[in-house]
Amino acid sequence: MRKLTKLGAVAALTVALSSGAALSQEMDGITIGFLPGVVDPFYQVMELGVNAAAAELGITVITQIPPTWGVEVQTPILDAMVARGDIDYLVIAPTDKDQMVGPLQNALEAGIKIITVDTFLGDGDYADGPVTFPLSYIGSDNVEGGRISARGLAKAIGGEGKVYINSTNPNVSSVEGRAIGFNEVMDNEYPDIEVIGLDFNLDDMNTAVQQTAATLERVPDLAGVFGTNVFSAQGAGTAVVNAGLGGAVQVVAYDATKFAIEQLREGVVSLVLAQKPFDMGYLAVSFAAADAAGVTSLPVRVETGFAIIDIDNVDDPEVARFIYQVPE
Amino acid sequence: MAQPDPEAAAKAEFAAPKTRSTTDQIILSIIQVWAGVFLAILILVFVISIPLVSGSSVSFLTVRNSQNILVAITPILLLGLGQTFVIISGGIDLSVGWVMSFASVISALALREAYNAGLALPLAVVVGFGTAVIGSGFVGFLNGVIIAKLKVPPFIVTLGMSFIVRGAALLMSENTTVIGLPRGVRDYGNESLLYFIRGEGGGFYFFTKPEISGEMLRRMDRIISYPVLVTVIVVAISIFVLRRTKFGRHTYAIGGNREAAVRAGVPVDRHIIKLYMLSAATAGIAGFLSMLRFTAGSAVIGDPLLLSSIAAVIIGGVSLFGGSGSLVGTVIGSLIIAVLTTGLVMLNVQSFWQFIVVGAVVILAVLIDQSRDMIKNKIETR
Amino acid sequence: MQDDPILSIRNLTKKFGGLTAVDDFSLDVFPGEVVALLGDNGAGKSTVIKCVSGVHTPSAGAISFEGEVVHFSRPIDARTKGIETIYQDLALANNLDVPGNVFLGREVEKRYLGGLIRPLDNKFMLSETQQALSTLHVEIPSLQVPIETLSGGQRQAVAIARAVYWEARLMIMDEPTNNLGVPEQKKVLELINKLRERGVPVILISHTLPEVFAVSDRLVVMHRGRKVTEKKVSQTNSEEVVQYMVGALDDTRQTAPAE
Repeated sequence: MRKLTKLGAVAALTVALSSGAALSQEMDGITIGFLPGVVDPFYQVMELGVNAAAAELGITVITQIPPTWGVEVQTPILDAMVARGDIDYLVIAPTDKDQMVGPLQNALEAGIKIITVDTFLGDGDYADGPVTFPLSYIGSDNVEGGRISARGLAKAIGGEGKVYINSTNPNVSSVEGRAIGFNEVMDNEYPDIEVIGLDFNLDDMNTAVQQTAATLERVPDLAGVFGTNVFSAQGAGTAVVNAGLGGAVQVVAYDATKFAIEQLREGVVSLVLAQKPFDMGYLAVSFAAADAAGVTSLPVRVETGFAIIDIDNVDDPEVARFIYQVPE
Repeated sequence: MAQPDPEAAAKAEFAAPKTRSTTDQIILSIIQVWAGVFLAILILVFVISIPLVSGSSVSFLTVRNSQNILVAITPILLLGLGQTFVIISGGIDLSVGWVMSFASVISALALREAYNAGLALPLAVVVGFGTAVIGSGFVGFLNGVIIAKLKVPPFIVTLGMSFIVRGAALLMSENTTVIGLPRGVRDYGNESLLYFIRGEGGGFYFFTKPEISGEMLRRMDRIISYPVLVTVIVVAISIFVLRRTKFGRHTYAIGGNREAAVRAGVPVDRHIIKLYMLSAATAGIAGFLSMLRFTAGSAVIGDPLLLSSIAAVIIGGVSLFGGSGSLVGTVIGSLIIAVLTTGLVMLNVQSFWQFIVVGAVVILAVLIDQSRDMIKNKIETR
Repeated sequence: MQDDPILSIRNLTKKFGGLTAVDDFSLDVFPGEVVALLGDNGAGKSTVIKCVSGVHTPSAGAISFEGEVVHFSRPIDARTKGIETIYQDLALANNLDVPGNVFLGREVEKRYLGGLIRPLDNKFMLSETQQALSTLHVEIPSLQVPIETLSGGQRQAVAIARAVYWEARLMIMDEPTNNLGVPEQKKVLELINKLRERGVPVILISHTLPEVFAVSDRLVVMHRGRKVTEKKVSQTNSEEVVQYMVGALDDTRQTAPAE
């Protein structure tokens, strides 16, 4: 199944790119709105992908980046973009898998086709799931990312011990999926590893430190921590290092921002899972172009994959290219 | 000059001195220290319940845990500190959380630029500190001038300013986070005055981190980390200033009866400007310390802290109407919040419960404050 | 022989828009005398007082203090010259203790490390306050409690003691016995007598005529912004004063209205 969708993506991309010159003639008319979740390096790299594809295909892109994460911030921006009346496709990272359904349905009714990137609506299955109106979901399979993180952490701690998850907010499809995949692997593949809890830091790094420090007190033989985003991992890593456990307790960080890489070099985190936001942005625009050109066989779900970065391979150019490089 | 006539010195008695019944006296004393009592009970509850729930080897009362809690309260306490002065004077500063984020960003930028320009790291850290304090102090100056001179309510001014500062922080930061700080900055934010290694080969180490590795690191406690040290110094100075100086006296006077202070010749406008500068500056110090701690400037780091800091101030017994309260109360209020978070996590209870408890305690604090006035009135009319 | 007046008000007029609150008012106050300023509500007493204490700026006329023409733009200007006003609302900070109020705005500090550390000298301020109160024969059981716990009379005494301590050259008292019990009223009147003994002139605004006759040397009655009479207390009585207050008598008219 996954193979199929990947093949589909490649096929669609090939269509889009090979006929790029031809498409760009017809594409003059279409305008794409790009509305990521929040201003951060991950989405800024995605924006680079969006702009690169748009430039190649001669598409106009209107980008709006919310200053903070949240439905209540993203919705008014979305409504304003819809109100412009000139947007044909919207590439969006919904900030809540349930609450954003209504606002996006309104956009659809206004004649805008939706492609979700990074995060999805409903359960992300736009073929048979509760939400089917978006054209496609292009992102990491966050559940898979959680699985990969789990395997990376399991390997780092030698396949046994207690691990802990520090996450940001509940009901956000991306971090929720990461935790689900993480738990699944630990339960099924590593019987000697016990997940002893999950805390939500509500995007507050100070809280992440305090929660992890308290967990280290509660579970003195903790072996590893999974931070479901950079700041969770950074907070967790700070608590670990200050408890004198740097190197002894492994910390996995999701997202290869330059900050995360700095923390990796400092020894605060031990593994960094890189997503491929550039590909997400690039593919999303290509899909919009292909749809506009009449391609009907676009896959409803595309996974862009991961790279795992640790202190040994961080300087390898093959790996380093996945670090989120944002122009200053 | 007419001397007072000793004969006429039939010292007229005013109304008989008021007496308080013993019960009222006891109730009043409990009310005065209830926050401290609540904190003690809270700690006791955690001390007893945590080993029961999480295993007998787990203890709430450890050196490391106490240090964790102290580190955790530093930002809340620093924000609450200036806020205490402002609220005692009858105002409020809603911009502190965002000023903290702003200071975190500008101090990171300044530190990095100073270091890249060839300054030694300790000096670059000092430059970062100065930038945080001066930059946020300037924001406070703007708050104060608009409030004191243009007579706009503090609620509005500081609310507006928090948006401005937030925008500035996001614009100045590089994608919300300023990174690329020199190595070693981490140590300023995380190392400490004193180290203690438990057990074999252990002991105390002052100022320098012992060169140890592996298993011994696990037995090392950092006691009074630098952010805690800075906070303790700032708190001590602030307590002195509020209790023992003209500045503190004027702060209470303005909150008690602003008109009286004006008529008595207290430079009220200038004082109010200074209060908002102080509030912003302590928020700036909080931003600077978190920048050191996380080795990065963050344009969002202080955002969630405003409400916690105001809660700490109210739990500590500062009246929102101005005129009364103390910094010791704010310290206790901050401790209650931090102890709750740590304790609940150690009980493996979802830490969202913390909000429910804190909310209840805030309301309780105000109720107790009102009943204090009621008992006082009861005594007066007796 | 009469001394020079401490306060001299000449042809004071104060207009608020089209309304003339005070019209061509003149008054001299001499050392050691208590002058009562009487009149119905809205007669202009308070406006006169506010011009003298720097709250209002006169529209016309001149105020001289200790022989020198003064122009006060803020209350603090008047205070610096030694004109203390004790308002009905007392102008005390209820959350501060007695010394805190007596020394408000003029706190005494100790200096350490070349003035770097300047704690309040609470001991000094307390003993000075005790002294000031005892020269006025005022006894308050505890000075180190917020004055909101004191009685109205005690607070009035604190306000007067503050003025005396800072060597007021002229004291203006606006309804000082309002809201006080009878024993406390007596005490405040005693304090006014003490001020007179110390040579501090007092301008007293009051509605209570027996009180005025008990402590004042002279009285001035205002009606509709104008001064209608000025008499020694010994040369008049309550009934006559009431006639002036309601406008039935008016010295500025050539003839008294027909009976």
